[in-house]
Amino acid sequence: MNMADVMLIEDIRMHYQVRTGIFKTIPLRAVDGVTLAVPPGQTLGLVGESGSGKTSLGKLTLRLMEPTAGHLYFKGKEITHVPEGRLKWFRREAQMIFQDPFASLDPFMTVDQIVEEPLIIHRIQGRESKVHRALEAVRLTPVEEFINKYPHMLSGGQRQRVAIARTLILNPSYIVADEPVSMIDASSRVSVLQILSRLQKEYNLAFIYITHDVATARYFSDRLAVMYLGKIVEMAAADELISTPLHPYTAALIAAVPDPDPTNRLTKRRVIPGEPPSPINPPPGCRFHPRCPYAAKICRDEEPPLREVEPGRYAACHFSEKLQDDLLTLAHGHVDASSGRSAQPPTGASPKP
Amino acid sequence: MPTRTQEALQEFWATKVAKVGVVFLVTLILISVFVLVFYPLNFGEELWNNPIVWADNPKAVGPSWTQAFSSQAQAEHLIFELPEPVESDFSQGFKRQLFQVSFLFEADDFPQFTSFTMRDVQFQEDPPFVTLILHRPDGEAIILLDVDIPYPEPEDSPPYVFYSEDPRRIYLSGSPAVRLAVATFARRQLNMEVLVSDIAAVGPEKFMFGVPSSQGGRATDVLKGEYTLSVLVEGVHADDAMGSARFVVAGQLFGLMGTDNLGRDLAVGLLFGFPVALFIGVVTSTLTAGVGGILGVISGYKGGKVDMVIQRTVDILNNVPLLPILIFLLFIVGSSLWNIVILLVVFGWTSLTIIVRSMVLQIRDGEFIQASVALGAGTRRIIFRHILPQVAPFILAQLIFFTPSAILAEAALSFLGLGDPSIPTWGQILDRGFSDGALYLGYWWWIIPPGILIVIAAVTFVLIALGFEPVINPRLRRRR
Amino acid sequence: MSDVSLYYETLRGPVQAVDSVNLEVPKGEAVGVVGESGCGKTSTSICIMRLLPDNIHTFTGRILFDGRELMDMTDSEIRSQIRWREVSMVFQGAMNSLNPVIRVGEQIVEPLRVLDKVQKDEARERGVARMRQTGLPAEAYRMYPHELSGGMKQRVIIAMALIMSPKLVILDEPTSALDVSVQAQIMNLLKDLKREEDLSMLFISHDIALTSDLCDRFAVMYAGRVVETGEAEQVLQDPQHPYTEKLLASVPRLRSDVTPEFIPGAPPDLVNPPPGCRFHPRCPYVMDICSKREPEMFPTGDGQYAHCWLRGDEHG
Repeated sequence: MNMADVMLIEDIRMHYQVRTGIFKTIPLRAVDGVTLAVPPGQTLGLVGESGSGKTSLGKLTLRLMEPTAGHLYFKGKEITHVPEGRLKWFRREAQMIFQDPFASLDPFMTVDQIVEEPLIIHRIQGRESKVHRALEAVRLTPVEEFINKYPHMLSGGQRQRVAIARTLILNPSYIVADEPVSMIDASSRVSVLQILSRLQKEYNLAFIYITHDVATARYFSDRLAVMYLGKIVEMAAADELISTPLHPYTAALIAAVPDPDPTNRLTKRRVIPGEPPSPINPPPGCRFHPRCPYAAKICRDEEPPLREVEPGRYAACHFSEKLQDDLLTLAHGHVDASSGRSAQPPTGASPKP
Repeated sequence: MPTRTQEALQEFWATKVAKVGVVFLVTLILISVFVLVFYPLNFGEELWNNPIVWADNPKAVGPSWTQAFSSQAQAEHLIFELPEPVESDFSQGFKRQLFQVSFLFEADDFPQFTSFTMRDVQFQEDPPFVTLILHRPDGEAIILLDVDIPYPEPEDSPPYVFYSEDPRRIYLSGSPAVRLAVATFARRQLNMEVLVSDIAAVGPEKFMFGVPSSQGGRATDVLKGEYTLSVLVEGVHADDAMGSARFVVAGQLFGLMGTDNLGRDLAVGLLFGFPVALFIGVVTSTLTAGVGGILGVISGYKGGKVDMVIQRTVDILNNVPLLPILIFLLFIVGSSLWNIVILLVVFGWTSLTIIVRSMVLQIRDGEFIQASVALGAGTRRIIFRHILPQVAPFILAQLIFFTPSAILAEAALSFLGLGDPSIPTWGQILDRGFSDGALYLGYWWWIIPPGILIVIAAVTFVLIALGFEPVINPRLRRRR
Repeated sequence: MSDVSLYYETLRGPVQAVDSVNLEVPKGEAVGVVGESGCGKTSTSICIMRLLPDNIHTFTGRILFDGRELMDMTDSEIRSQIRWREVSMVFQGAMNSLNPVIRVGEQIVEPLRVLDKVQKDEARERGVARMRQTGLPAEAYRMYPHELSGGMKQRVIIAMALIMSPKLVILDEPTSALDVSVQAQIMNLLKDLKREEDLSMLFISHDIALTSDLCDRFAVMYAGRVVETGEAEQVLQDPQHPYTEKLLASVPRLRSDVTPEFIPGAPPDLVNPPPGCRFHPRCPYVMDICSKREPEMFPTGDGQYAHCWLRGDEHG
């Protein structure tokens, strides 16, 4: 990984102490040894379920949380333990878009005040015209109609666009977007993502796009990293990762997501059993092994490293090469019956290409 | 587009309770301003607790307007100033002054007491003779008293002036000389078998203003008609004289609100209670809300050790038995108004701190605070720009809510005898009334008005707080 | 359901949450009601369950269930004869509304105990059977909600809905709070239940892809109205209403390279909806008539109907 990357994350860890008794605490490894690079102008999609540590990782890179170990480099400069007072330059360059556009906007401030705030904090002149330009950039036009409104007067999509305008007004080079569209109605979701894409091209922004939704991640990201219990299990270019997953968990995630298709109802979706365990006490060996349909003895004993299985494709599985075909069917082919349950033979099952 | 504050005020004004509350509050404030302008600030020490000021008022009598509801004509309170003699001459080596006042006495009841006050008595050698004579409607006259004016001290030099700084007040009803004179009059002129001791028991007024009752015995009926009091001053020098005098025939009714058993005009005391109640209520609640709000914000935002210290303090203060501690502390530090206010604040801020802290905790974890941190905002900006505006309306509402409780708490402390004795408050008037048995003696005017005023003052702020409720609590907010 | 309307009273005026909705759930089939937030999906379901809030302005129409007119029944008749016994409901976020201090088994069988006065042992037997069917171990009967994971709690809720063997289950976003892998498990469970029990289902969701995983028929709602109904194949592959078409186009696909589009504008205010077709301000094919007259449900194929003037021209 080279120093041209906007954000370079090296073996970052964050452990909380969780109180389990009056005096007993045990570590919760929210993020457990993640190494990532975000090149300029690109989007890295961070996909995972709840408890996977994807949001913690995103906040770590913005120094909104303190890492337990590891290093963060922003444009080649280490920012890992720099005190807040000397981080102002970084705060101008790195921004965050939050999941809930209502919670992330101060309800007592107008759109104007919200978007203007970063300029006040960083003592930047010419605020009025900058605010106008930012609102135009996120298509909140005519600007006059929105500028004096309070967040509660706006729809979800409009609020999120205000939040985007606020992050953009400082001309950042790096943005962490934490589920920016998951609370927006389906019909406006794409418009927000399109605005982000356009701005990315215009300003050469680097994004970390955090989501549980593989479909929007594929649409918006250049590369995808799949997280499970604080670790990255697979990382590759978005299309490759979706079309030919190399980790059973990735395949299962993809399998779980339907596309609108009337034949879906005729077949059962292949699912992995169980639910993500708590990161307080992760299983030994490969963390996914208790749910993995392909688990072998080595998976229980030995934790697979994240390795380059194919050029540019990383996966943390002992059997990535062997399982390629199985994983492809798991991810994209419908199967007749779920494992272990007695079901009638399906009628007219037609695997989708 | 209206700002949030304007919206909030509109919301507030839309409720009926708020309007009533505001009208009450404006009235309270106007009365307080009036009192502060027209009464001295040391009113309590100088006037209220100075019995001399109230000596000539009737003791523990009801308000004058109760006459309207009574079939009996009650004696009115009559005060006669005698500023100058009606006659004054000097001839044949005798100086003679006559002060005189005539008045109609038509009540069905006797006066409560009579008193005579004289000022500026001056003489060259021997003190002049001052004689009080009461002429009755039936033509009789009673020589009530020869006032005994002492001889000057040897080191003084003429002209001697007595009673100028300190007027001499003679409580006729209690004077043995008057009793004797009245007893003699009753025996001789009214043919009643009356002893001096009888007069000491029922008061000389019964005979001064009475004729033998048809019931016989020592009972008397009021003799209605025109009475005249003559004060004769006799000296030997041309400038031996009395400056002025006052004669009081104390009634059975007094003023707007009656008097207490020291003769204090309750109307004045209650009036002075207005600014005091407002002061206690507003100052206590402001300090309480200020301390509670600030500590709550600090506790919630800082967390860690600071939070723990504040929260443990809250726990301790919340769990000590409040009243005994208050009584004990007031006993130690002395019950001045400020001490009461400070103690109420010290024990009052905790509840607000707990709530504000939990609000701040919630707000602090909110995404828009994190968004601000991500933008590089400092602690001060986050607290003042993002957290305070969210908790401020709540703190303001609590401030208003604290006001009535502070007023009531002061009243309660006063009622327990822990009020600031130098300032009359409604609670203290109530306390005096209770301890002097007003309840058993039926002196309702002493008990009910202060009680009602305490309730009104408290209700005023409760109404305003209720008016703010829909502003603070969006669930109650009506959408237009 | 035919011509059912439900308006809520608010200070700004009546909100037309459900307006002249026609909906049919055939026996043993699953009907998906899809639409954006605030389009009246949930309000439609509470009309059937008669779980109405206090601020009702208008509640009219006919609701036939198994040949019985629900609108003529009193509240207590609904409670004793229909609700839970014939029609049950899985509410959105219901897994978080389990009582934390009562064992989940007892919560599952509560309707049995209350409505049918079933003895404890028998109730337990039936409860455990339902739990097995929903993929829960029998031990879970004696557990408390906090001991269960999110997916298990959702299974408890489904077991509870099935305990009285109803004919129709209304599922309001039953997977919205779950992780995707668990969501798929629950959807598979629903598929099994539908087949095994011959259940009718009304599946309410904003997610048209998820709905396609279960439902035979679709009803697309927009601004309090059903704008299109039809078989899954018809609606998904040949949508007749512009809103359905655009909604489908806005879904990012995992398995094809179609670039998703968005619908400009926002859903209307239901206190003061636009005249004529409520979608006309956002519709790319808007015509003069759209803002003047409200379209009917024009038939556009075998069992498919679209509430759009475009279809009226072709067929009527």
